Amino acid sequence: MGNPLLAFWKNIFDTEDDEGRIRRAAFRVAASSAAQASATIFLILRRMRAPLIVLIVIFSVSVFGLTIIPGQDAEGNPIEMGFFDAFYIMSYTATTIGFGEIPHPFTYNQRMWVTISIYLTVIGWAYAIGSLLALLNDRAFRSALALQHFSRKVSRLREPFLLIAGYGRTGEVLGHSFDALGRRFVVLDSSSERIERLELDSYHADVPGLAADARDPGHLAVAGLGHSCCEAVVALTDDEEANLAIVMAAALLRPELPVIARVTSRQIAERMQAFGSPSTVNPFDRFGDHLRLALRAPAAYQLLTWLESGPGAALPERGLPPRSGRWIVCGYGRMGRELTADLLAEGLEVTVIESHPTDVGDARLLVGDGSDPWVLAQADLDRAVGLVAGTDNDTTNLSLVAAARRSNPQLFLAARQNSPASAPLFAAMELDALLVPTEVVAHEVYAQLSTPLLWRFIRELPAMGNDWAAAIVDRLRGLCGSHLQTLWKVLLTAQEAPALASWLATGEARLGQLLRNPENRDEPLHAIVLLVLRGRQAMLAPEDDFVLQPGDELLLAGWSAARRALDTTLLVPGILEYLVTGERVPSSWLWRRLSAPRSNEASGVRSG
Amino acid sequence: MNLEKVVFGFFVVLAATLNFGFFIGDIDKPELHNPYELFAAVVVNLIATVLKFGDRTQIGAVHLATSLVADLQLIGAALMFGYATYVSTAGMTAAWTASVVSLSGGALLANIVSVVLLVVETVSFHRG
Repeated sequence: MGNPLLAFWKNIFDTEDDEGRIRRAAFRVAASSAAQASATIFLILRRMRAPLIVLIVIFSVSVFGLTIIPGQDAEGNPIEMGFFDAFYIMSYTATTIGFGEIPHPFTYNQRMWVTISIYLTVIGWAYAIGSLLALLNDRAFRSALALQHFSRKVSRLREPFLLIAGYGRTGEVLGHSFDALGRRFVVLDSSSERIERLELDSYHADVPGLAADARDPGHLAVAGLGHSCCEAVVALTDDEEANLAIVMAAALLRPELPVIARVTSRQIAERMQAFGSPSTVNPFDRFGDHLRLALRAPAAYQLLTWLESGPGAALPERGLPPRSGRWIVCGYGRMGRELTADLLAEGLEVTVIESHPTDVGDARLLVGDGSDPWVLAQADLDRAVGLVAGTDNDTTNLSLVAAARRSNPQLFLAARQNSPASAPLFAAMELDALLVPTEVVAHEVYAQLSTPLLWRFIRELPAMGNDWAAAIVDRLRGLCGSHLQTLWKVLLTAQEAPALASWLATGEARLGQLLRNPENRDEPLHAIVLLVLRGRQAMLAPEDDFVLQPGDELLLAGWSAARRALDTTLLVPGILEYLVTGERVPSSWLWRRLSAPRSNEASGVRSG
Repeated sequence: MNLEKVVFGFFVVLAATLNFGFFIGDIDKPELHNPYELFAAVVVNLIATVLKFGDRTQIGAVHLATSLVADLQLIGAALMFGYATYVSTAGMTAAWTASVVSLSGGALLANIVSVVLLVVETVSFHRG
């Protein structure tokens, strides 16, 4: 550190805060990845050296030869061809255009030389152009170009976006829900086929996608991990290790970013928890929780699945799983384990069918292949109340369900669907409960990221009881019909709702007064408030006489027309007075002046 | 000994020497500046440029830049030469010759920088 400049530099960097250091680290990995891309282009340039030099040499030899071979003009006088003429002739000859012998007809000597040059130059051109075309088709070159294109698109994003690593079925479902909300996202997947599918997919917004290994932090950084607009990272690859690597990279490079990862094993989930506090989604665990909720409060389960499915989803049917009796769980893998534990916790009797004998806790174990009719008969289907076909093979699951239904039509049937291709078969089966792990994860991530309020609502929901949930479902169905309309958030602050500020401060601001049609106050708005968040306290589905306060956050469900109407009320001054008092208040400056004395007497709202 | 380095050094030095050979002599006397030498200088300079493609080091980038400058100036000189010989009615006058030779002089400077870079690179190369 003899250099004072270096010392100065070091001082500056040492005094900087942690956040800057981390941000810089993210940029550094991005830069190294971009440098890799340009390295490939340098390599390509290097490979063009030989063809270009061959072309230059052939050209110069031909031109030089033409200039030193004597020619003749029309009168037979010897002349020497100049460089320009020679270059001109060689240019059109080499490119096979061929304008003829100019400025004078050639001598035999010249023609011999031109004949040789024609063959030479055509070979030179063919070699150069052939190499160039081969390079354009080169895999490394194309992927370098794609990486550059991608990183340019990502760095130009100027609105909040989501970084989705892994674009399988889950990523696709999630991407479509987010696109419907008008949110942007960036996709990283190791399979180039999936990235091609992304390009063919019909999204409203342009979705940058890169076929690269998400385990490499450089690729994550290029995909916007270091970008200031990146709002969350979602790790949805089907490789547990890869998801862990993504969580690690995100936690170390951008600790403040929310991270959601898909896991299927508890060990990986615990290893992830060592890095900050990422939110992990285990589809089997969630399905078990859902099944317990469905057992305890079918309406609450129905409401939860409806809200998690996103806008436009049809109201799911309310299943009625048997609350007492014996359940049969086929397959004691990751899903079977979770479900058995959940069913036992609900005080139900469980029989497990599994070909490899393992320790199943309190449940009764039946060793054998579940698809074997004899084994199923052993399980005493007639006296069971429910069956879960939870193996990782769709054919086995389908045949299990079909066999069980034939021997006992009253059974409550739940099955796991592993591949999206078998969706129509499971749909035709008309099961009572279907687990599609990819969709469970997608819905869960959607609920966590679309609006934090929805996630809060869903977490509070199970505690509210079945009757309450049934009432909410009825209200929502009366409002929206059988398909869910939009869900949106309203923040009652001076910035987001300037027209409401003084009214909220009165302490008399009733929710029912706000949710009215600005055109005609006798009509209620087609929207209901699902949740009011005040500080850390959440109020679920408040009544009309609920008193609002400044700073409240509202989660609403209803028609998008109602959303527009409510926005008008929040932003345009004067409309609120009409909703509260029934008086039309002029909004323009002139009319307000003219009617000022009367309006002041009539409404105490504004003065209050 | 690296054959690639030999070829590279050969072309860089040859480009500079040919350029120098064309440049030397009274600036306005066309008979002292052989057009074949200019042609050779252009060709060798182009080859030297192509040889410098794809080097990612800082010194490689400067190498390429100097070569591009030399190419630009030499091609400019060749174009002026062609214009004077074929288009202009006066032919290679003293003024035209001076323009062509001074352009090649600019290219010579760039070529000298290139040679200096080559020498610096060689001197700063430590074995082992």
